[in-house]
Amino acid sequence: MEELVDVRGLSCPQPVLVTLEKIKASRSNRLRILVDTDTARENIARMVKTVGWEVLEVEPQGIGYIITIGKAA
Amino acid sequence: MGILSVFKRKKNLLKPEQSSASEGMLVFENTSEVIKAERVLKDAGYNVRVMGPPPELRTGCDLVVVFPIVIQLQVIRLLKAEGLEPVKTVPVSSPLLSPVSLFHVKEFGDFIMVRAANMKLSFEKGSGLIVNISGGGCPDVPFVAAQMIGKTLWDAPSPREIGYTLCAYALSLALEHGKSLCPRPQA
Repeated sequence: MEELVDVRGLSCPQPVLVTLEKIKASRSNRLRILVDTDTARENIARMVKTVGWEVLEVEPQGIGYIITIGKAA
Repeated sequence: MGILSVFKRKKNLLKPEQSSASEGMLVFENTSEVIKAERVLKDAGYNVRVMGPPPELRTGCDLVVVFPIVIQLQVIRLLKAEGLEPVKTVPVSSPLLSPVSLFHVKEFGDFIMVRAANMKLSFEKGSGLIVNISGGGCPDVPFVAAQMIGKTLWDAPSPREIGYTLCAYALSLALEHGKSLCPRPQA
């Protein structure tokens, strides 16, 4: 099971910065990010591409989304 | 005590060099005029900068051009020749009428966020790597962000060159301010 990172309630740019730090510290190749705004979802999706990761899945969760990201093949 | 006496008391506390107006502000009807005026004046070699107006001067456009008051005549003449006429020209005669910085800087651990007007630019402290761009809501922001994120402050294209909205303009101010905060790493 991938680690779940909850960035709900954080104001911009913190969801991106927290996700980036988790990517750097992560030993696994996948993370799940819980976000509560479209802006956070878009910003995270944009950023992960620049560090060699990609969005694998986005599933609605309550008022937000769970974004599954993983190291690009 | 009336409000005028409060102003008078504050003015009396000023040192002579602070109370003499050495700068003026050009107030325009809209932001695109501010951007154009800044370009015209800088291209002509004048030392001007864009700042936020003091609350007393807010007219809907949240930017003013600040210039050395000694060149007021030349500035007005040049702008007029370009079809640009400021709504007002105001000397910066007291701290109460001083322009305000457009920038807000906040640190988040290894990252710095620079906000310029409505746009936020976040980058890594050591490398200057741009990790996030947000704010604005202008149609060109997603494109501009995609061109800049993942590049350093120095390698990223200027938003002014690739964007066309007020957001792109504000982002270019944030980029320049970010560069001034973060020394370029040696190659």
